[in-house]
Amino acid sequence: MSHVSDFLAPADLQRISNLQVLARQVVEGFTTGLHRSPHKGFSVEFKQHRQYVPGDEIRRIDWRVFGRSDRYYIREYEEETNLRSTLIVDRSGSMAYGGGVPGKVSKFDYATRLAACLSYLMLQQSDGVGLVTFDTKIRRYIPVRSRVSHLRVILDELDQSKPGEDTELGRVFHDLVPMLHRRGLLVIISDCFGEVANFLKALAHFRHARHEIIVFQIWDRDELDFPFKGWTQFECLEKAGLKHMIDPVMLRQAYMENLERFRSELTLGCRRHKVDLVPFCTDEPYSNALAAYLSRRLAR
Amino acid sequence: MTFLNAALVAGTAALSIPIIIHLFHKSRFKVVKWGAMHLLEMVIRTNQRRIRMEQWILLAIRCAIPALLAFAMARPIWQGSSRLLGDARASTVVLLDNSYSMDAARAGAANFSLAKDNVQQLIAGMQSKSEVHVVLMGQGGHGLLDAPTYDLSRITQVLGKTSAGYGTARVPQALDFAAGSLETMHEPVRQLVMLTDFQRVSFDPVEDKLITAALDRISKQAIPASVTFWDVGQDVKENIAIESLDFSKLMVGVGQKIQIRANLRNFGAANHQDLRVTLKVDGKDKGASQVALGPNSKAQVLFTQSFETAGSHVVEISTEPDALAADNSILASIPVRDRIPVLLVDGAPGDTSDDIKSETGYLQIALSPFMAGKVEQADLLQTRVIPAEGLTQKALSESQLVVLANIRRLGDDQLKALEDFVRTGGGLLVFPGDKTDTAWWNGAFSKLAPLPLGGIAGDLKEGAPSMGITSQRFDNPALELFNDPRNGSMNEAALKVWFRMRPPEKTGGALDPVVLARLDSGDPFLAEKPFGEGRVIACATAADADWSNLPARPFFLPLTQRLCVYLASNVYPPRNLEVGQQLISFLPTDAAGKKALLTGPDGVPVEVPVVKKETRGVVEYGPIFNPGLYTLVPPGGAAIHYVFNADRRESDLSRLTEQEINDLAKSHKVPVVRSLEEYKQLEHRNRFGTELWKWFLWALLAFCFLELILQRFFTRRRTKLPVKPLSASDLVGRNG
Repeated sequence: MSHVSDFLAPADLQRISNLQVLARQVVEGFTTGLHRSPHKGFSVEFKQHRQYVPGDEIRRIDWRVFGRSDRYYIREYEEETNLRSTLIVDRSGSMAYGGGVPGKVSKFDYATRLAACLSYLMLQQSDGVGLVTFDTKIRRYIPVRSRVSHLRVILDELDQSKPGEDTELGRVFHDLVPMLHRRGLLVIISDCFGEVANFLKALAHFRHARHEIIVFQIWDRDELDFPFKGWTQFECLEKAGLKHMIDPVMLRQAYMENLERFRSELTLGCRRHKVDLVPFCTDEPYSNALAAYLSRRLAR
Repeated sequence: MTFLNAALVAGTAALSIPIIIHLFHKSRFKVVKWGAMHLLEMVIRTNQRRIRMEQWILLAIRCAIPALLAFAMARPIWQGSSRLLGDARASTVVLLDNSYSMDAARAGAANFSLAKDNVQQLIAGMQSKSEVHVVLMGQGGHGLLDAPTYDLSRITQVLGKTSAGYGTARVPQALDFAAGSLETMHEPVRQLVMLTDFQRVSFDPVEDKLITAALDRISKQAIPASVTFWDVGQDVKENIAIESLDFSKLMVGVGQKIQIRANLRNFGAANHQDLRVTLKVDGKDKGASQVALGPNSKAQVLFTQSFETAGSHVVEISTEPDALAADNSILASIPVRDRIPVLLVDGAPGDTSDDIKSETGYLQIALSPFMAGKVEQADLLQTRVIPAEGLTQKALSESQLVVLANIRRLGDDQLKALEDFVRTGGGLLVFPGDKTDTAWWNGAFSKLAPLPLGGIAGDLKEGAPSMGITSQRFDNPALELFNDPRNGSMNEAALKVWFRMRPPEKTGGALDPVVLARLDSGDPFLAEKPFGEGRVIACATAADADWSNLPARPFFLPLTQRLCVYLASNVYPPRNLEVGQQLISFLPTDAAGKKALLTGPDGVPVEVPVVKKETRGVVEYGPIFNPGLYTLVPPGGAAIHYVFNADRRESDLSRLTEQEINDLAKSHKVPVVRSLEEYKQLEHRNRFGTELWKWFLWALLAFCFLELILQRFFTRRRTKLPVKPLSASDLVGRNG
């Protein structure tokens, strides 16, 4: 199997080294110790023998069986369908939140690293991988390819993407449906902020096109615990000029209730559309995401 | 409101500290660039008003805490709407209930002695140069001393000798008296404290308006007094009282029997099977009886007594001792006459002096039956028959009663002498007849005649209808005997002829003639008219048997006797009086200018002057408030007894309940105290106000707790609903 670094130029390697190294470390670290190694491949698998009939290709005759039985038998193989995965990464402004703490990973950083890991893993398994980045509209669409060299394209795009605009999950996903001609696995990496109803409608649209969907919802711990104290001015990351000066202690209870309502609406909606919703916090290890992905992959 | 440490009030500026802290925190805010604004914005939008309100409440409470602390340290004093009195000198009226219910004792201590002790301690605690007037509430209030005084020791001294039992407490009148006293006092601070047992009968709701009026009078004075009610009563339930005495005769003669009926009442719940009742005459035991007296019931005891000597006698009925001694006995003064001289003026004399057919023949027998029957027994009324011409000044002066029977007319001198006789207290009984000159009656005699005469009614012919006397209830003492049919009935009378007396013209005055009895036709039968200090009664028919069958009826004797005794007894002013009335005695003219000696229940003789009024000497003393026996010894004469009894309403010892007392005081906006200590505290508050620092301290603590509770409440469930952190189990197979 070709190593990912073989396909990358030194300059590119330098640029995207962080993502690449991280992806490799995570995937290999994760796969070590598993009973079934992904390196054995899934290309062909023996199914049965049948008698040769005129017209069959000569090279498909099993000569070992001929040697033992003096008869011509053809080896039949079951061809395995390769997985076609499209990573849909949210690069809206809200994904830029990282708590303002130096050294802490923002939600977007976490999303890109997660996307890199998944891409690497999929390509390692000879699955096809594509990438879509979006905010208010689709910013970049990279079609599904299963070549290992395709990883470079994906990593390059992930590295160049920066969060900053408003989000329109519903409209973007509706626009995306016609672009995905063949059915496959859609991996949505987003905080899913916005109108829940629109988001669920879009998921329903995907499901109608017979796509399998797994949603990695990225949270920051601050968004889940709302730990702020003292007078604080909250400035919106998506809409410039929108800000509120509040005493967060007084509002925490109402915020937590609203958060719970949002999460339960989303969870129930996804369950209704048979969509896997996997919430993630940026302080969680990436391996958890890979485990979730493989769990879903093996379930197919 | 004032402050003892006024400088510390400036400390309330500390209320700005929370505001400053609030502004300081708000100015040092953090900036967070926030992603989940859609979650936060909805919360802000829906909770902004509530949050702002909660923040204002918390800020207000936090501001109040240092302000309350500063207030508490400044020691505020509440004085109400009045200014503080401080150490100013006071004029105090002590209204002390000395009615006889205050003598009720429990465990050996009478209400009055407890009240007296309290008053003495109150006076002892007053600062020097205080002005005090002790007013006793019995019978409407009168001063212990004649006027308010600064001599506190003198008040204490006199008060020590005072006892209760002075009749009924009349609260409105007593308060009015106290209001009058307060107006005459001098010090800049006025106080009125009323010590009473709050007996129910003394606080009749009907009199509530009168109490309000009296208190209004006090409050509208130039210097209104602070009024305090002081409850000094104790609950005493059991009490037996002799409520009254009734006598069978208005006046009794020597050797005559008189029935004395005592009315007893049990106000308690105890059952007395053999209650002993004793009779004393002039201090000597004369008889005893036993009576059963159930719970809350009444009983009567009857004694028959005769007197061997003429003069003034004292009868006392008493029963066994109980919690209230004052109503366990009752006194009565009975004047016993040797003779009452009666002058019968006959307008149609018979052939002989004892001719029964004369106009006064039947009267003479009826008034002096023993003399007529030549029986050696005393007649109270001693009759003397004279013709009309014999009615002279001299004859009148020897009589106490004159009966005119069928007199045609009197000479002017005779009439004037007769008018003088009645005016000075003599009695006149008039029977008209066939000789009566109606023109003279309605003219010259009209001053004395109760009613003018109309024409003659009826007919003497055989078989002509006769007229009866209407049965009715009689109010006049002379006739009330006939309210009991056992004493005879006037229904038996049959009048053939009578004078129609014209109905009286009522002016509403006390001198209006009154019809005592009527005929079945509606015409007056007996009419009475006061004249001067005497009385005149006129009958509508003749005294003999020519016009009616009256002399032949059994009731004729008691009727004429009682009419005569009634008219004759007016010569003597009443001797059985109620406390609060004046003692009046008529003495011979030669006693005028001299001194009579009056000895009251306290045993201390007092000299009282005898004043000449018209033709006699008169003693006037009082009003008298101390009930009991008073003995008047006129110069050169025999002792005359006067009895002053208290109104027995006070025997019902039931008190207002504590709640009723509080409600009464509240309705009159007057505080109630129940001990000297309470009164001192109240006076201290009036003088120096009420310190409020404790209340402010309590409020401070309450606000601290409130702040803590509200803060937790406003951020409620902050720790109750922790958000479950995400874990690997959430990630794998979460959606099934």
